[in-house]
Amino acid sequence: MKKWVCVFLALAVLAGGLFAKGGVEAPKGPVKIALWTQEGESEGSFQFVKKLADAYTALYPNITFDVLNKETEALRQDFLAASLAGSAPDLVLTVNDHAGPFSVADVIQPVDSLFDLKLYLPSAAAIGSKTWGVPVSSGNHLMLLFNKDMVKTAPKDTDELISVGKTLTTGGKYAIVWNQTEPFWLVPWLGGFGGSVFDKDGVTPTLNTKAMVDTLQFLYDLKSKYAITPKEADYATMDTLFKEGKSAMLINGDWSLGDYSKALGDKLGIAPIPMVSATKKWPAPYTSGKYFMIPKSVTGDTLKAVVAFINFYTNYENQIDMAKTLSRLPALRKATADEYVKNNPVLRGSTSQLVLGTPMPAALEMRCNWDAMKPELNAVLAGTKSAADAAKAMQDAAVACLKTIQ
Amino acid sequence: MKSLTPDVMVTSLGQVGGILAVIVVAVVVLELILYFLLKKILHYRYALPFMLIAPGLVGLILLNVYPIAYELYIAFSNMNLLRFRNPSHSLAIGWENLKSVFTAPVLKQQYFFPVFLRTMLWTGIQVFFHVSLGLFLAILLNRPMKLRGLYRTLLVVPWALPQVVASLAWRGEFNFEYGFLNVMLTRIGLQAIQWKSNPFWNFTAMNITNIWLGVPFMAVILLGGLQSLSKSYYEAAEMDGARPWKQFSSITLPLIKPIMTPAIVLGVIWTFNNFNVPFFINENNLETSDILVTALFRAAFDFNRYGFSAMFAMVIFLILFGITIVYMKAVSFSPSALAGSKARETLTVGEEK
Repeated sequence: MKKWVCVFLALAVLAGGLFAKGGVEAPKGPVKIALWTQEGESEGSFQFVKKLADAYTALYPNITFDVLNKETEALRQDFLAASLAGSAPDLVLTVNDHAGPFSVADVIQPVDSLFDLKLYLPSAAAIGSKTWGVPVSSGNHLMLLFNKDMVKTAPKDTDELISVGKTLTTGGKYAIVWNQTEPFWLVPWLGGFGGSVFDKDGVTPTLNTKAMVDTLQFLYDLKSKYAITPKEADYATMDTLFKEGKSAMLINGDWSLGDYSKALGDKLGIAPIPMVSATKKWPAPYTSGKYFMIPKSVTGDTLKAVVAFINFYTNYENQIDMAKTLSRLPALRKATADEYVKNNPVLRGSTSQLVLGTPMPAALEMRCNWDAMKPELNAVLAGTKSAADAAKAMQDAAVACLKTIQ
Repeated sequence: MKSLTPDVMVTSLGQVGGILAVIVVAVVVLELILYFLLKKILHYRYALPFMLIAPGLVGLILLNVYPIAYELYIAFSNMNLLRFRNPSHSLAIGWENLKSVFTAPVLKQQYFFPVFLRTMLWTGIQVFFHVSLGLFLAILLNRPMKLRGLYRTLLVVPWALPQVVASLAWRGEFNFEYGFLNVMLTRIGLQAIQWKSNPFWNFTAMNITNIWLGVPFMAVILLGGLQSLSKSYYEAAEMDGARPWKQFSSITLPLIKPIMTPAIVLGVIWTFNNFNVPFFINENNLETSDILVTALFRAAFDFNRYGFSAMFAMVIFLILFGITIVYMKAVSFSPSALAGSKARETLTVGEEK
């Protein structure tokens, strides 16, 4: 079976125009590509990366891969350390906001001259006049997933979420779960309350705002006042609760759609995160996608092999395969117009949230915001700090952080 | 996950084998150079000892001396993400880094001294429980009983487990929904505890985990010490009418002090520098659970303050160095005390040295 898949992919490559504009012919000599990715095994996305790497090796036996999975933050830390030590991998497949620290640290190279970026949707890895990554998928955005056996339709707004949630939270079951440890899950609600983490200039933190206070208070109330969500839930906990039917709704990203489609089948419903009743605004999750980034140290035949592999990975056939296998929205313009992508209910649901999202900033300053928000979000949810105090502390920490990176 | 097929094993061994081959070749070349230089040319009397210690010495320089020297070099730099490749180095920058350690937050909110005090508290709690519970278990296991060998084997199981694995397993047990502890608490009608988000309970969780991990080491060391004590001391004490507590305080404790002191010194250093337990148990990155070494890690690798972090590391090293010296002075410990204790062990009541 694996062999046939490889043969099919090989033929697909030839038919799909591997050497399209911007492409580079694969080198003839032996090249081993060390590829680091934060694509996880539990969602099946790491296996997808491995499958395409194996398929490429089947096509070009002289090019082999050593694919390594690292958790998102570990990848950022390890890649910086490895680059400093002169032992960086040859290719990185990660989220767009890593482009900020990596480009500032001068450890990746721009891809403008290596690829025809017009073939792809607008890049979320563009900083200033340069583009630092080749998009693999669009989205990487949070959305509301629900179990149709437990709740027929998704609540339209937060008032409905709370009223429905109170009836659903009973007998050890919860109405909704989300990852309470990461500020990535806070950002959509901040948008819904009319806030943003940056001022218009895109680099000045605006964390101590009424919108942030309202957001933090709302999240705290969901847990304590309305008690429709667990007192503690990390990623693994929310994932397990939803899969076990102990939570009717879940807020999670497009990377998990393939996994939940398998687990719940037709029972899986997808909808935008409910509108904030107080502001009549839709929550705005960050949108970005997964990107290939090429370390600065990669040159010569390895660079040629890396570029050729990226072209292969993001060709039309493999983009459609990704949409079917992982339920992710493609980044190649041609693939976004495909009938499957337009008509598949899961992808349609994902798109309905995507259009309400906001591009995730890739600037280095975003790093300060993430690091500033995380402990304060935890403090509010633990009940050890008020929303107002936490918002002020966030802002102070972000501003102090900016000074340390000057 | 890929299964462990012969192909995978061969590939893995090939990767390790390559590194081993390089090390073997390097050692051979080093030994040949030393042989010709010291033995053949200089006819040096101690050529063989030098040749024997040379590979270890080179390893020590590469793995210990060079990283510490490089750390010191970075400590006097302004290295951060913006100056990742080409940082500036100067005494003034080093001084600024040093000042920042004590005057600016080392994390996002927490300053040095609260983190330092928490580290001292953490170390104090741990060493207290390790020594007291370890000694208690050692005394229990030092008495004749059935299945004593089995109990001793079971005792070292937590110690034998890799610390990271044990920490992650314990982290699972602190899960609010599925953790063993909360399941037990709710079964007996108590409220589940927010082990990961509540600062007090998270710190407690760290301590529970590390007590579980650390007691076996101390128990095994102290058991070894207790077994080496001559029974004649206790027989004589009993004849003089000494009660058990008196025997413990006047015989057991003084005689195992030479064993206990280095174990406590090691315990203080290891606990003070324990990274795995505070880091992995503190899943929510609560700053209120960070100790100095985890704060250092976050400053360096989460917040990318490399120059600052290198100086921070130097400060931690000096603190630990100072604590060790003070403690060793306080208990009048010197390495020769161990040798002395061994000599004393051979004596029995009534004998003279």
